[in-house]
Amino acid sequence: MEQFLGGLEILAQWQNFLIIPLGLAIGIIVGAIPGLTSDLGIILCIPLTYGMDPTMAILMLLAIYCGGTYGGSITAILINTPGTSANAATLFDGYPMTVKGKAFKALQMALFASTIGGLISALALLFLAPQIAKITLLFGPAEYFALAVFGLSVIAGVSNNSIFKGLIGACIGLFMATVGMDNISGTTRFTFGSNRLMSGIDLIIALIGLFAISEIMMKSQYDPRTDHKTISASSITRDKITKDEYRRCRKPIALGSLIGVIIGATPGTGGGLAAFIAYNQTKQSSKHPETFGQGEIEGVAASESANNGACGATMIPMLTLGVPGDGATAILMGAFMIHGMIPGPTLFKEQGNILYAIMLGLIVVNVFMYIIGNVFTRFYAHITRIPYEILAAIVLTFCIAGAYSTNNRLYDIYIILIFGIVAYFLRRMDFQLVPILLGIVLGPLAEKNFRRALVLSDGSLDIFLTRPISCAFIVIAIGSIALFAWRNHKAKMAEKQAGAR
Amino acid sequence: MKIKYNSEIISGLIFSLVGLVLWFLIPSQVQTLEKTAINAQTFPRIAIGGLVLFSIGLLLEGLFTKEKREIVVTAESFRSTAFKKEMRSVVYALFLIVYCLLIGRLGYIISTALLVVAVMLFYRARKWYYYAIPLGMVGVVYYVFKVLLRISLP
Repeated sequence: MEQFLGGLEILAQWQNFLIIPLGLAIGIIVGAIPGLTSDLGIILCIPLTYGMDPTMAILMLLAIYCGGTYGGSITAILINTPGTSANAATLFDGYPMTVKGKAFKALQMALFASTIGGLISALALLFLAPQIAKITLLFGPAEYFALAVFGLSVIAGVSNNSIFKGLIGACIGLFMATVGMDNISGTTRFTFGSNRLMSGIDLIIALIGLFAISEIMMKSQYDPRTDHKTISASSITRDKITKDEYRRCRKPIALGSLIGVIIGATPGTGGGLAAFIAYNQTKQSSKHPETFGQGEIEGVAASESANNGACGATMIPMLTLGVPGDGATAILMGAFMIHGMIPGPTLFKEQGNILYAIMLGLIVVNVFMYIIGNVFTRFYAHITRIPYEILAAIVLTFCIAGAYSTNNRLYDIYIILIFGIVAYFLRRMDFQLVPILLGIVLGPLAEKNFRRALVLSDGSLDIFLTRPISCAFIVIAIGSIALFAWRNHKAKMAEKQAGAR
Repeated sequence: MKIKYNSEIISGLIFSLVGLVLWFLIPSQVQTLEKTAINAQTFPRIAIGGLVLFSIGLLLEGLFTKEKREIVVTAESFRSTAFKKEMRSVVYALFLIVYCLLIGRLGYIISTALLVVAVMLFYRARKWYYYAIPLGMVGVVYYVFKVLLRISLP
């Protein structure tokens, strides 16, 4: 209690309340540019924090992290391109809402859900960190593999009419994830003798190519004379979220936040996986699953609450065990060390006051995010009024610069353009791109842990079923696929009967 | 010439072939020294094997259960509006391929400015500011990345 009050006192300094909005603004802008991630924002701002006291420095970087995770939803909703990989699931319903002229409503819901998810995550970090850390310590290779399988089961829900197309997409993604050097044996795989492919295909590069470039190509048949719709400035912000919609989104937000906290606290996973799982579970538990994917506000609420719900939770293993939860927290861990704090079990004893100030500050960060996000939302919603030809040229400019900046390689620009053309072909053939993305995201997690688990079990597959957590994930994944198959079958039968009448 | 097709047949056929080629490339592209049953080749085999199997499934679905579109290819088909629309996406893809070839030689600013102008001409933009805004943005992006973010673009 003494440390808690000490932390509150440190947090109450006025400088903190200036630096948090600044960090959030940087984070939201960086997150909303395809190719720039909150990780990059944190790295670029670390040198600015050298002269600051530890609390202020870490709060600024945390604000960038949270702002970036929310900011990525803006482009996902407006131009069908997630700013960061954590926002990929927001595409499902965010962009269809924009197509229906409900961009402002989608942006508002993304902000609201992100804030609630972030607040729940911050509270979990503050009050439940040691307990959650103990649970995640039970995760071994078998559990991680089962978690990845559980994540891959989302494919059943996002494949729409053709499960074969969804599975082919996932196989393409899994194959792409194997390109480059194998981390376990050091063998190169499918590099075709090129050194440039040794490090594999970067996730953010794949995202830009698959979603942004293919979207621009899909609009190549756009005719400005007939397809451009003039929208008045006042009409954009007129359509606000209704009380009924807030009420409907309560359950998806609660579910998303909970999943975000659990997945976020598990090292090596992250907000992207949490968002996919939350979206899938919300769709399954909904009374109207057929509306998902067609501009359902509950879909935006579930995915955005989950990815921001993971933000604070990724700090749990870092602060309690000294194990970073994802890339951003690994960078944050470095920032902690720069400011003289070594994350791990002793941190609470040695610098408890500062730590409580940071954990309480995360709550303030999320409150400020709602305020600042509201200003940005009004501004960004007007992007839908820009004539498409101008928007396409600007998006291309940002995507190319963003792709190059990821690894400072010209090669990545070639990859996004090639991916874009291939993804365009796939979309024309009615393929969903999300299964490919899931394969790329979950492939490395699944492969690494599958091989490790089998080394531990001397090659026996029983390990995935004899360990309770692993078995539970696999059973839920199978149940989830079976439920989708049953619902699809029922829907098809109903369609046939309606056709016969 | 009459052609009966659907997207399942086309994509099923293409991915079965791509999958088969990749399958036979595994031994040369993944040369592992591991002696265990589960090694660096295992996951590529699962992914590519799955690709081949599901593609064959899709092909069969397209052949036997899905409705097919029938088109008659004549000289007239190449002058139809639908064909011209399809060609627009091919032209767009060509822009991107030419851009890939140019960026290494001309650098980011000139090649991206050319791409922007090509995109504007593609959409038949006539107002001067339709060209000025994205061209200005190329300069802004270059400045932000080079000066503020210290990332030197090519």
